[in-house]
Amino acid sequence: MKRLLLSIGLLAALSPVSGEEPAACCAAVEETAPLSARSLYQLDATFTNDRGKAVSLAEFRGRPVVLTMFFASCGYACPLLVGDMTRIREMLSSEVRDEAALVLVSFDTERDTPDALAKYRDERDLDAQWHFLHGNADAVSELAALLGVKYRKEANGMFSHSNLITVLNRKGEIVHQRNGLQGGLEETAQALIAAAP
Amino acid sequence: MISRFRHLLATITLGLMGAGINHAAPTGMVEIPAGEYVPLFTSPVDPASVPVPAFYLDELPVTNAQFLAFVQANPKWRRSNVSPLFADQSYLKHWVGDLELGSLAPSDSPVVHVSWFAARAYAKWLGKRLPTTAEWERVAAAGYTVSNGREDTELNGDIYRWLARPTPNVIPSASEARPNQLGARALFGYVWEWVSDFNTAMVTGESRADSGLERDLFCGSGSVGARDTSDYAAFMRSALRSSLQAHNSTSSLGFRCARDLEPSSATSP
Repeated sequence: MKRLLLSIGLLAALSPVSGEEPAACCAAVEETAPLSARSLYQLDATFTNDRGKAVSLAEFRGRPVVLTMFFASCGYACPLLVGDMTRIREMLSSEVRDEAALVLVSFDTERDTPDALAKYRDERDLDAQWHFLHGNADAVSELAALLGVKYRKEANGMFSHSNLITVLNRKGEIVHQRNGLQGGLEETAQALIAAAP
Repeated sequence: MISRFRHLLATITLGLMGAGINHAAPTGMVEIPAGEYVPLFTSPVDPASVPVPAFYLDELPVTNAQFLAFVQANPKWRRSNVSPLFADQSYLKHWVGDLELGSLAPSDSPVVHVSWFAARAYAKWLGKRLPTTAEWERVAAAGYTVSNGREDTELNGDIYRWLARPTPNVIPSASEARPNQLGARALFGYVWEWVSDFNTAMVTGESRADSGLERDLFCGSGSVGARDTSDYAAFMRSALRSSLQAHNSTSSLGFRCARDLEPSSATSP
């Protein structure tokens, strides 16, 4: 029942932003132009979103992106990171806010299945601008390497990890990283605004 | 078919180097039996040792000639084509050109100036992968003649002599390197090596790990303590790994590949 409600909620929320037809914002950058040398969208790894759909990072091309790696059962830093991403979003002008993508990619390749990520979204009532991605160990490790995120699975199944919020411009280039859990939200929001002229 | 051909290429190259192998492992690789890895650092929730299933490991580090075959077949990994995201400016800088080795890069010497991304791509091209830290360290823990390298004075002498020498301008060929008890050669004495999970070496072992800032940068399950502070070489490897970024390439950093055992042979005793 919960899943059904979630699906309905998702469908309703998704249509204007990241449904099948691209929003006006996203048509601005031609998808066929070659990627810039520093674009993260050169990564050819495939992820699965919390709706079970296969996606590549390049899906976010043309939009300003806030990207964070996390895991759903994390009790300390990850809820803070999600909270920080929410606050960053609140600092944006409505235009930028409407087109920004908030992307969370999980370290936990085993437990954070698309279903588990859907549940996470559901429990926190996060709308369609939030994207939750599950990847295999290869994809997660390549993305972490590109972002400079360090992580390690502990014996108890939890992960030690860098607390890093990354801002990508429309081309998929890293334009800002907020490292740690203290401060820096204003700067991150400014970077996001600058990334979406 | 194509990968068979690539494999053949690698085989020929290794054959030229005169590597004699008596294992049933793929040519140029040795079968490492299941064992265990004793991590250098452990947090309170970690077990004292980690089981390492059997796997294949390249007997020697990848050479310039082998890496040249890779960039010949994969233009996007040539020096002038590679994305700055995947390799920094020193990528293959000891080669004369995109497809020319030159005097600083003898064909049978271990390749250096390669990034983690490039090393991974090379391994994938051959149907292999990079070894994990646990796998690499499990093999490097063996001595020449005894299973515990720490008790092998000859091996330790060789390691410390190497650590005391500056990196030479030209890395020598490793083809004469002495095998350890597991059959792997040149794990030290020539180059440092990439591992697949280099970026897991985190708070552990970095001198700044105890600062308040660092605690904030990482979400972890508690303090981490060093198990055995006398293994100097292992500490150096750990410090190196934690200092690296995946696009970095340096004059003393190479790699070798690993491969899973086929399911059939994995079950054999």
